[in-house]
Amino acid sequence: MLRESSDAIGLEIDLDAAMAGQSGTGVPRDAELLAFATAANGAGGELCSARNALEALVGAEGLIEAAATVAIFNGLVRAADGTGIELDARVFEASADFRARLGVDQYAGAANSLHDVDGTLTNAEG
Amino acid sequence: MTQTSGEDDVERMRLARVAARSGLAAAGEWLSGAERIEAWQHVRDAESNELDQARLAALSPTAVEGRHGPGRLLNGTDVEVVHRVASDPGRLTRSWAEEAIADIGEERYTELVAVVSVARVLDRFDDAIGDPRSPLPAPIEGEPTRVRPDDVGDVGAWVSQSLAPALANVSRTFSLVPTTNRLWRGLVDSHYSRGPQFLEWVWHRALSRPQVELVAARTTSLNECFY
Repeated sequence: MLRESSDAIGLEIDLDAAMAGQSGTGVPRDAELLAFATAANGAGGELCSARNALEALVGAEGLIEAAATVAIFNGLVRAADGTGIELDARVFEASADFRARLGVDQYAGAANSLHDVDGTLTNAEG
Repeated sequence: MTQTSGEDDVERMRLARVAARSGLAAAGEWLSGAERIEAWQHVRDAESNELDQARLAALSPTAVEGRHGPGRLLNGTDVEVVHRVASDPGRLTRSWAEEAIADIGEERYTELVAVVSVARVLDRFDDAIGDPRSPLPAPIEGEPTRVRPDDVGDVGAWVSQSLAPALANVSRTFSLVPTTNRLWRGLVDSHYSRGPQFLEWVWHRALSRPQVELVAARTTSLNECFY
């Protein structure tokens, strides 16, 4: 989604930096967005100052959008990992290159969601 | 283009959170309101619970001895499911889920995961925006309906889901428990996907779509979510 939506407006983005939480991704205001996302997920940094810095740049509604995104994806990861949903075949194929390059296939949860291209579950437990 | 103003978006989010909060307090298909609120309390407890933190720090969660005991209304497996899904979702496995499902049934298991997911959104939003967490709502009287939808089956997930072919897998996650699924879908639609906007690569919101997706990518990366 990050890659496609950036392409749509002509942004050249660095997915490695995005996944690592480093600025220089090519997305406007990325340093403040990443600092907020990291702190709001309890993964480092001071949340209050990250919130204030982001709001100063994107306004109150932008901050609410960012908070809503952190919140909903905290739910989505639990919904996906708790029910063991499979990665849709179309997404599986489209994301193969950067999943491997960025190490996403090494996530523990990948064993629950990876499939062969024909849709067969490759989970060792499955 | 089918996009709304910022004020409309913010209000829709607020209304969805209000509906989710009160909806969690009412009975679902397999859990009473009191059981759902007790589960929400365990979601909060999991953030600092000693056993959960020890599991998180371990190379494998199974390397840590111990198991959560029963709660006031929830049984031991219920509590174990809530704590694992809340605290360490990235390392759940099919065999772990199958063991829990064999004990409590896939419907109750699914409703517990749904309650955790909804509760986590509500609490995480308050934390992120800087609001104090609201006290847990009082449970609403009422019995679970104990009705299983007809149109669900095996689509490859650990639990039965809607057989409708047009749906992406993530959009039918909780279709086995429609009452809680409505709360969940309301949150997802208002806080992220917004109906047909999801299919548009350019969003005219307070944040651009790449900005939203950057925050989403960072959040899923920190949670090691593959999906």
